Amino acid sequence: MDFRTCTRRTVAAVAALSAVTVGAAATGAFAADDGITLAISMRSLSNPYHATFAKGGEDFANSIGAPFEVLVTEGNSEKGLADIRALIARTEGNVCINVDPNDSPDAKTIVEEAKAAGAYVVTQWNKPDDLHPWDHNPNYVAHMSFSGVGTSEEITGALIGAMGGEGGIVALGGILSNVPAIERKLGMEQAVEATGGKVTVLDFQPADWNETKAFEIMQAWLTRYGDEIKGVWAANDSMAIGALEALRQEGKAGSVPVTGIDGTDAALSAIEAGEMAGTVAWDPNWTGGMGLSLCHAAATGKIDIAAEPPEHREFYGTGIVVTPENIAEYRNRDASFDYDDYWAKSTGQIQYQ
Amino acid sequence: MATTVNWRSLAPVFVFALLCVVIALFNPNFLSPSNAVRILAAAAIPLVLVMGATFVILMGSIDLSIEGVVALTAVVTAALVLNDHTSANLGLFAIAFALVAGAAIGFVSGAIHVWLKVPSFMATLGIGFACLGIATAALGGFPVRISDSGFRALTLGRTFGIPHGVWVAFAAVIVAYVIQQRTRLGRWIYAIGTDEVTARQSGVPVERTRILVFTLAGLFCGLAGAMSAAQLGQGHALIASGRLFTTITAVVVGGTALSGGVGSVLNSVIGVLIVIVLTNGMVLMGVPPFVQQGVQGVLIIIAVALALDRRHLDVVK
Repeated sequence: MDFRTCTRRTVAAVAALSAVTVGAAATGAFAADDGITLAISMRSLSNPYHATFAKGGEDFANSIGAPFEVLVTEGNSEKGLADIRALIARTEGNVCINVDPNDSPDAKTIVEEAKAAGAYVVTQWNKPDDLHPWDHNPNYVAHMSFSGVGTSEEITGALIGAMGGEGGIVALGGILSNVPAIERKLGMEQAVEATGGKVTVLDFQPADWNETKAFEIMQAWLTRYGDEIKGVWAANDSMAIGALEALRQEGKAGSVPVTGIDGTDAALSAIEAGEMAGTVAWDPNWTGGMGLSLCHAAATGKIDIAAEPPEHREFYGTGIVVTPENIAEYRNRDASFDYDDYWAKSTGQIQYQ
Repeated sequence: MATTVNWRSLAPVFVFALLCVVIALFNPNFLSPSNAVRILAAAAIPLVLVMGATFVILMGSIDLSIEGVVALTAVVTAALVLNDHTSANLGLFAIAFALVAGAAIGFVSGAIHVWLKVPSFMATLGIGFACLGIATAALGGFPVRISDSGFRALTLGRTFGIPHGVWVAFAAVIVAYVIQQRTRLGRWIYAIGTDEVTARQSGVPVERTRILVFTLAGLFCGLAGAMSAAQLGQGHALIASGRLFTTITAVVVGGTALSGGVGSVLNSVIGVLIVIVLTNGMVLMGVPPFVQQGVQGVLIIIAVALALDRRHLDVVK
């Protein structure tokens, strides 16, 4: 493999990216003493979740004056791996990478390559169940995620509450094979089951996380079930907004409770307007910043990561269920956090189904 | 010229009618007026998109920039009406900017295609990605949310019980039909699609026509962008994801050949209705989600196989 070409391509890509992403990645000039480069790798900058994730990483890099780079996979595992390889080669392993792997198997390759070169890695969301940080000490620092089943159960509970505890719901799922889609569906089903038959799922349709698809499916549901629909559950906020707009077209926005997951701004505003009954707000700013902070601490020897217990190596962040009752409180919360208090927002060790 | 009606040209209509009958047998609600309105509302944006795409495909070219242009013009529109990002408040005038922006991007695609002799596949693919990139960079991944209810009436408001978006789409179809039937441009498009060399020798300004058609397609994308922004109350880089596939499928299912020269904008209207009714019908009939895609694929192949006029197809690529 010719690393020079690879690196040049990546440098060009990163340069182009930093030129367009206003202000991002512009901190390279003031390198910290240790010379460690910090990097974030994720799918794309086109969605709010990942844009905030990258911003969180950038904020941490700025706070310690370290060079910072954003790598984007564009949904392509090959590109994601090639970019990370090039970055490791270029920095001679003197790099901390906070990566949301495009696909679970990618995590294994990334960790192995990082370990071989002495680089440090924190992964988010996707990794094979049998890949553990403690098996790759000290370079695989940690894996962070959010509990899909538990939070989905909670938000479904909020939906059922808004429906008055009974009636039929229709449910919009994500891409059938995605891990979060599977977990969120499971959580919804468990919450529905817990009502002992008072709440039933009229229909479940995957809308592939897509607004427009959710819009069209919601329209068909209005024809098929009409007023039987007492609540709409969606596995993410984009689909919830799509369903909400289909309801709006019929003058029904606000009369049928809708919930989503992700905590996007559109969903939060819809909650404030009384049109949505809730969402789950993740904390991408925290996963972006804290992932790098923890990684940097392990790389510089500030903490002995190999000596940390499993619940400090594979842990869930805090998903906040936001409803009309607590939205004002959520909006006014203090979102800042202490970069040195690594596990303050952890909600326990990751459990495998 | 044949004097008898070529039944194949009516095949998409039969497919559409058959589909409606089958769905109605499973679920009579399908035929209710309110469901008809819902289907039309869902069809409005794809209808506008296929008008431009049909012309491009009739020439034997392809336009893959649809999602990018729609997203960028939706963002432009959202940023020009009352919104949470900028202080602009142009109301419905924002649509004019979306149209101009769409046409300008279409012109660039056409110019790259014709002057640099880049195949339309690559030229429009590149332009589409560039548009998505600009939309992403301009917003940093966040949506622009619209708070102008007057503007949103573009799709939400109703006249005679039909959403305004449907009327807009109807107007777009009439404009496209008039261009196809009553203008030199319309005849040139067919001439180029049928045989470009002969067309050129007969004095058809091929280059000018091609650029004009891509500009026109961009204009329709701009209109669809403004409608998308109004329908979802926001503009963001991913607002049009999935539209490209629907559009090309609808054009082909309607009976317009990808090889050019054969088809019509009216065929594409039926094509859109088939695609939208399929989505609607799958849910109404209760087809299990994991079977839906397979059924959709099979039905699309059947529709195309029935609609193709093989006598005019010497070469299939």
